[in-house]
Amino acid sequence: MEKLLFEIPEGCVTEHVPHTTSSSFLDGSEICSNNDGDLQLEIPDNIRRKHLPLPNLSEIDVVRHFTKLSRVNFGIDVGLYPLGSCTMKYNPKVNEDIARLEAFASLHPSSPEDCLQGTLQLMYELEKYLKVLTGMDDFSLQAAAGSQSELMGVMITKAYYKEKNNGKNRTKIIIPDSAHGTNPATAAMCKFETISIPTDPRGNMNLDKFKQSLNSDIALLMLTNPNTLGLFEEDIVQISQLAHANGTLMYCDGANMNAFLGITRPNDQGFDMIHLNLHKTFSTPHGGGGPGAGVLGVKAFLADYLPVPRVRRRLLQQRRQQPNRLRPHQKNNSAQENNYNYLYHYYYFLDFAKRKSIGKVRCFYGSFGMLVRAYSYIRAYGSNIRRVSENAVLNANYLLSLLKDVYELPYDRRCAHEFVLSCRKFGQRSALDIAKRLLDYGVHSPTIYFPLTIPEALMIEPTETESRESLDMFASALRSIAKELKEKPDLVKAAPHTTPIRRLDEVAAARKPNLRWTPSCDQSTPPDKYVSTGGSGGTSNNHHHASNSRDNNI
Amino acid sequence: MDYVPITEEDKKIMLERIGVQSINDLVNSFRPALSNGRLDIPPPLTELDLFQHMKNLSNRNKILRYFVGAGSYNHYIPSALSHLVLRGEFLTSYTPYQAEISQGTLQAIYEFQSFICLLTGMDVANASLYDGASALAEAALMAASYTGRKQISVGNNINPQYFEVLKTYCDGADLEITRNQANEYTACVLAQNPDFYGNVENLFYISEQTHKAGALFVTCVVEPTSLAIIEPPGNYGADIVVGEGQSFGIPVNFGGPYLGFMAVRDYLLKKMPGRISGMTTDSAGNKGFVLTLQAREQHIRRERATSNITTNVALNALAATVYLALMGRTGLIRVAKLSYGMTHLLQRKLSVLGFQTLNSLPFYNEFLIKTPTSSKTIMSNLAKRGICGGLDLGEDRLLICCTEMNTVQDIDDFVSIASHDVAAIEE
Repeated sequence: MEKLLFEIPEGCVTEHVPHTTSSSFLDGSEICSNNDGDLQLEIPDNIRRKHLPLPNLSEIDVVRHFTKLSRVNFGIDVGLYPLGSCTMKYNPKVNEDIARLEAFASLHPSSPEDCLQGTLQLMYELEKYLKVLTGMDDFSLQAAAGSQSELMGVMITKAYYKEKNNGKNRTKIIIPDSAHGTNPATAAMCKFETISIPTDPRGNMNLDKFKQSLNSDIALLMLTNPNTLGLFEEDIVQISQLAHANGTLMYCDGANMNAFLGITRPNDQGFDMIHLNLHKTFSTPHGGGGPGAGVLGVKAFLADYLPVPRVRRRLLQQRRQQPNRLRPHQKNNSAQENNYNYLYHYYYFLDFAKRKSIGKVRCFYGSFGMLVRAYSYIRAYGSNIRRVSENAVLNANYLLSLLKDVYELPYDRRCAHEFVLSCRKFGQRSALDIAKRLLDYGVHSPTIYFPLTIPEALMIEPTETESRESLDMFASALRSIAKELKEKPDLVKAAPHTTPIRRLDEVAAARKPNLRWTPSCDQSTPPDKYVSTGGSGGTSNNHHHASNSRDNNI
Repeated sequence: MDYVPITEEDKKIMLERIGVQSINDLVNSFRPALSNGRLDIPPPLTELDLFQHMKNLSNRNKILRYFVGAGSYNHYIPSALSHLVLRGEFLTSYTPYQAEISQGTLQAIYEFQSFICLLTGMDVANASLYDGASALAEAALMAASYTGRKQISVGNNINPQYFEVLKTYCDGADLEITRNQANEYTACVLAQNPDFYGNVENLFYISEQTHKAGALFVTCVVEPTSLAIIEPPGNYGADIVVGEGQSFGIPVNFGGPYLGFMAVRDYLLKKMPGRISGMTTDSAGNKGFVLTLQAREQHIRRERATSNITTNVALNALAATVYLALMGRTGLIRVAKLSYGMTHLLQRKLSVLGFQTLNSLPFYNEFLIKTPTSSKTIMSNLAKRGICGGLDLGEDRLLICCTEMNTVQDIDDFVSIASHDVAAIEE
């Protein structure tokens, strides 16, 4: 394994920024420097840091370190990544270039409004496209991830009932047993009690149990559709009607929206709110665990509860249309959308009016860098975006057809964009063994042991960006592992064999946590002793760095 | 343009294998079908058209010379950083559930956790939270859960946006927000350092009072380059340190995505939200890294989890790790000294013009001034010359920030434009 950054021998740091004694700084700043030409710090001793225990490394060593780390990491760019529920589709490279355009990436969020027109227009239009795709009336782009959108949705629910019932809240939320763990965790953060509904023999939420659970305490139903089994909730319209008749709101966990684009809209299924994970359906890169972006769509009657500010626009005086500069083949379509001059007819602004808003859930206006990529992704597919979902469903059903004779399919139905198989016939812990063995075949494993309702579950989501060849290869890997499990089970149980490291001891990791590097000279004197104001101050016990540079002496 | 590799020929073979006539047969159970199937979205674009469209759109923005911070800081990003962070093995991976093929992400997170501990002077850190504001809110929820108390006390001038986020989370969790108190109902006292106005304080006294009341002391660091030259919160008794890591190699990006971080004392480890990477060994005895202490998390504990967080901002944590590695202590101290120096240079030059500085304590790289004429006039005259002069707090208050990105020339331009405004009043 690559050594830790902190174990690399010290080197000469590349000078990325000027020294405070450099001429560019001193030219106008004699009042700030002392006789040595160094910057005179007036920070009093009792708040001044005495020692900064960071390593000084040369640039080449840093570049090699992280390049080596990248080579023991697996991403979509490396191979198939059928991690169910996570929608690991190809992340277009052009979107990375677009997100890094200086006029997007270097725009300070507190700039004057007339300097923000491109960014605000992008946000406004993204909301518009998301409305088209979901049928919702209004969107907030503020949340940093799906789970934060859920939090917003549950907070909105709480605020809505508080107002509607004169301060008396409804206290319970219904969540099917196949739901993502974030749903109950979010409900608990807002002090709601959760009621779990089992799955019926067809893989839907059990309608009878749902009916029995409805009463005047039920604030919300949080439902994933297609559900985490990869199945369309067949009773969805009836479920919505029952919920609404009971005064219960309908929340859609839209993690699985990749099945629905251009095919059906959550609004028409009766949902009042839906969150979308832009890093799933709209292909913003997952980055090893974020940043993602969550957006929350709501129906008009809930719009006033959304976080502020909202992006709005007003019509400016019409300008004369200049000659259309489009390519000839685009002329017949709604050409004006692309016309640069046409875009100038609106002035975009941030509306901070609070109305019934639950407040802000994060600083500034959302994960803008992710919004750019999602917008750009939608514009690339444009009105053909249905192709995404059609091919996601095609790929999933094709892969399922290649596997269902070898692995157990708990609910024998056509799947949506993903499906869940059970390996229970191969014995306990077989899902884990199979997942590990798949790594030897050069693919990432599916999600395992989720949903919790399926024993030894493999949750497989190939996405639309895999070729038929790639799906065939994955199916044949899983088929040969099934064979291996019968013929040479030890091979599978000891897997993986070809990865940079072998199976890791997770029990030891949790029992004796080693969660950080600690400088060796600090081990004798713990660095975390409280020091009193103006006292001896800080940890003065570090000598091994001291000779390096004048900058080290703060 | 699309990114689907399936050919018409493939499709035929696949449909046949599935045993259906058309894709519509696969999706017709998804109801209700979209009426007439038409979408009001513009036609598809080729990559060239897309890039030009996006470039034109971005050019409707205007980048200024920024003298504004207030939660988002314009620092230099070394070139090597994006080359490393953009490597597909990092960029297109997800949460490292399969540790054997995710050692790159896991080791980088472990190094990030180490950096955060070294900078803050704390025992353990997590793999990141969404941003500084939501990290502060998570700290409040964690303190309430640890102490079983229901009041969150705000101890100094925290960023107003952070306050709003805190309030949103506290409303959701039925917690009450108070000001400057520490008593038997107080779960924690929160203080920002440097505070919203740039003031730097030794918070030892507040921390001591907080602990006497049996509450936790939470420090929030919104401008973390300050940690290079200012006493770390671990030295003045913080139990939880949260903050915003955007200054470490993440572009200002109109406010996101950013990098929330959290570091705590050992005894709070099991209450900490978010992912944690830990070092262990594999079956052959080699060292390696795994996600650990997962029994705190939502996918295991569901409604009993410490938080609902799952996806965080791992790639930005990687960026910060690369940034700190590239800058080293020498570079980070330079950034801090330059930010400090430029800020004080501008402050002194403005004082000479008659702008009154309202900071009562030493400040780091932000300061509050009282403008002789309306702040709006000054801001708009500066904007005409391509300068964003600060955060306009209304009437005659301006919150000004400098970093190493502001040159002496920028400062002279700022002062010269401001002097015209002053001269205009005197006439």
